[in-house]
Amino acid sequence: MLRYLARRLGQALLVVAGVVVLTFAVMRLVPGDPAVAFAGPKATPEQLAAARARFGLDDPLPAQLLTYVRDLLAGDWGVSLRTRQPVRDDLYLAFPASLELVGTALLIAVVLGIPLGVLAARYKTKFPDFGVRVGSMLAVSVPVFWLALALQTIFASNLGWFPIAGEYDSALDTTSPLTLWTNITVVDALITGNWPILTSTLDHLVLPALVVAAYPTGVIAQMTRAALIEESGQDHARLERALGFGETSILTRFALRPALGPVLSLIALVFAYAIVNGFLVEAVFNWPGLGRYAAESIRSLDTPAIAGVTLLVALVYVLANLVVDILQGFVDPRARTR
Amino acid sequence: MRWHKRLLVAGVAGLMALTASACAGGQVRGAGGTPQPQTSGGGSPAGGQANDATFVYAPNHDVVTDWDPATSYSNEIIALSNIYEGLTRYDSETKEASPRLATEWTSAKDGKEWTFKLRQGVTFHSGATFDATAAKKAIERTKEKKGGAAYIWDPVDKIEAVDASTLKFTLKYAAPLDLIAASGYAAWIYDVDAVDADGKKTAGTGPYTIDTWQKGKETELTLKAFDDYWGGWKPAQYKKVAFRVTPEITTAWQLLQKGEVNFVERLNPQLFEQAQTTESVRTAESPSFQNLLVLFNTAAGPTQDVKVRQALQLAIDYDGLAAALEGAGQKASGLVPQGLVGHASGMEPKQDLAKAQALLAEAGYGPDLKELKLSLTYGIGDEDQKLLVTLLSSTLSKLNVTLQAKPMNWSAQWDLGKKGGQDVFVMYWYPDYPDAYSWFLNVFKSADKPQFNLSYLKNTEIDAAIDKLPELTATDRLAAVEEYKTLQEKIIQEQAAVAVPYVQKYQRALSSDVQGYKDNAAYPNVVFFYDLTRAS
Repeated sequence: MLRYLARRLGQALLVVAGVVVLTFAVMRLVPGDPAVAFAGPKATPEQLAAARARFGLDDPLPAQLLTYVRDLLAGDWGVSLRTRQPVRDDLYLAFPASLELVGTALLIAVVLGIPLGVLAARYKTKFPDFGVRVGSMLAVSVPVFWLALALQTIFASNLGWFPIAGEYDSALDTTSPLTLWTNITVVDALITGNWPILTSTLDHLVLPALVVAAYPTGVIAQMTRAALIEESGQDHARLERALGFGETSILTRFALRPALGPVLSLIALVFAYAIVNGFLVEAVFNWPGLGRYAAESIRSLDTPAIAGVTLLVALVYVLANLVVDILQGFVDPRARTR
Repeated sequence: MRWHKRLLVAGVAGLMALTASACAGGQVRGAGGTPQPQTSGGGSPAGGQANDATFVYAPNHDVVTDWDPATSYSNEIIALSNIYEGLTRYDSETKEASPRLATEWTSAKDGKEWTFKLRQGVTFHSGATFDATAAKKAIERTKEKKGGAAYIWDPVDKIEAVDASTLKFTLKYAAPLDLIAASGYAAWIYDVDAVDADGKKTAGTGPYTIDTWQKGKETELTLKAFDDYWGGWKPAQYKKVAFRVTPEITTAWQLLQKGEVNFVERLNPQLFEQAQTTESVRTAESPSFQNLLVLFNTAAGPTQDVKVRQALQLAIDYDGLAAALEGAGQKASGLVPQGLVGHASGMEPKQDLAKAQALLAEAGYGPDLKELKLSLTYGIGDEDQKLLVTLLSSTLSKLNVTLQAKPMNWSAQWDLGKKGGQDVFVMYWYPDYPDAYSWFLNVFKSADKPQFNLSYLKNTEIDAAIDKLPELTATDRLAAVEEYKTLQEKIIQEQAAVAVPYVQKYQRALSSDVQGYKDNAAYPNVVFFYDLTRAS
């Protein structure tokens, strides 16, 4: 198991290193002077020169890359040209909210997607299967931005069932201030027992999380269905049938566990995708996550910030894959030998 | 089911780690003092009653990136203009500076010496007393920092605190210092010993101070009334202000309709039309000081020929564009927008395709002649500029002119422009302080290394006239108006270095119970919350 882990970790590190170099190259090769983001759109030549000197933008590319990597290894992600704050601090403020949104969405996706997949596999080619397939197809293909606007208009603006936007009612910052530990509001509210903020956050989370969950739910349901149908045609399923187990029992007790392997890998893939996909949802629901930070950074060509966001998403992607690989090792011992 | 157990163990371990970290200490979010934003929907305070509602502004961008009043040069102008004050404030109706921290001022020696009488009984948020020495220190610090728009003080040679309430400026060359002191950036007077770059406290004299600042959060900033404000407080004024960052226009509109926010900077044309007929919302429109400049390369390429430039000016469908903008822009007259000294009426351009074709033919281009290929750069993501480019491109194609338009990020577009890399450069221009001089000095004065002179115009006669403008504005405003008009005729008609298709118009939407709102084009997107009251 340890060798398996070490191999996976080594591969993950290679991917991250690749992303760092690529991100750096891209951000330095795009046309435009990043110093403008720092010095302002009407900066004087002196102000631009000072900004370039401060951020080493006049150094040769390889030297800049070396400095960037050296600083990264020392935990320094650079300074945002726009916010003038360390990128790591900015990300620390923005990322937890994205994590909260995407985490909730994935929870919804797993809780809904797997049972729906089981249901479709159990009633293959019958009405429930048809319903799940059409539903998941729709969930996967509807543009996320449109879905966000539609749900917001119907359920928040017209029906008033949910808040229009925001993470929680900010008036609560005064009446029941939240003590921060993880910076993830819902987790902090839970561990400190801050029920008003917890309920308000959950209330605000429903619509955006449902929108972000649409795509993963659809894919997970389809994948679970396909994997289960394949498993239920295996030899062990025939034996189980011969032993008198019912179809539902075969699917949930015997076929589900080996079928979960590909579904788990899929969740890792979908997780990183959902973070970036969530940027649009965050914009519609004023969610204070990475989306706003990324959008404003791109608009002002704030290269250290863009690189920071890219690196963070890549890290999440790699980490999620690593976690899934480890989980797969537990779920399916065959994976460890692959 | 061993793996189930392992997962359970891992989960419990994770939870324990989380709890353990929880015991290590934490900070309280939004640790301010006074109440956070409430919607203005509840309660019904009448004019004379206390207004305990929070005024909520919904910007579509970060609220503050630089807290230092010396270097701040970005969106934070909206918040900081309510925290800091300058010696004067511009009034676009009278086209003059009006008293703020200075109550009166005089200029002498042909605009090279200015004396400001300062307001008495003003205190900074820090508790320090505002006087001439404090004002002198603030301006000197801003100058030394050389950040943002600090260059506005370049004409100043020496500042003297004659006595506690008299501030005297000696200038290197004549300049309208009363207008410079009204600048939206870099002209704020602050307590130099109390400046805090982290935004925990403020050092101004304005009506509001910071309550909470939570970078990156939805309600990023809240302000509270400064009790000792020199102007005093009336019950119906807003004592609390919140900035709720709302990147999406549709979301802002829904929040406004529900009464959760009070002010939206700009809606799209469809929503603005809807806002005009919505009962709980009212709208306000006014021209800005920002106009679109279409700069033709006078130094190289086919646009070097003045006839080509004149043809391009005439090919722009000015009326069609203004109509397509649906109120977000109005036809310009000259280079200087209405509301500034130097605005020239009667200079509205008109499309004339026959004349354009004739001019092109004279230059050797046209439907039956050589094809003319032109490169144009404009701001990416700007729908209004895109509209201009689309209209112009389709008109020019009929004249056998191919427009290769490239949308670009500002820094890339500017970089290319500084190298003279295009035939046509499209950009907005706005003055840092309310003076038309900004257009002429920055955009049309000869430069060996062009910064904003992206038409690359080099004309000694025009340069000499530009150099005379500050002194004229400082000493004889009527003569300045005449000189500005002559210069605009030279630059637009004779040289055809630029076309000015439209001036942007502000289209605001605000809740109908807000009274006293007035746009001031000298301070883009700023709402002076102190001037507002809440109707019963």
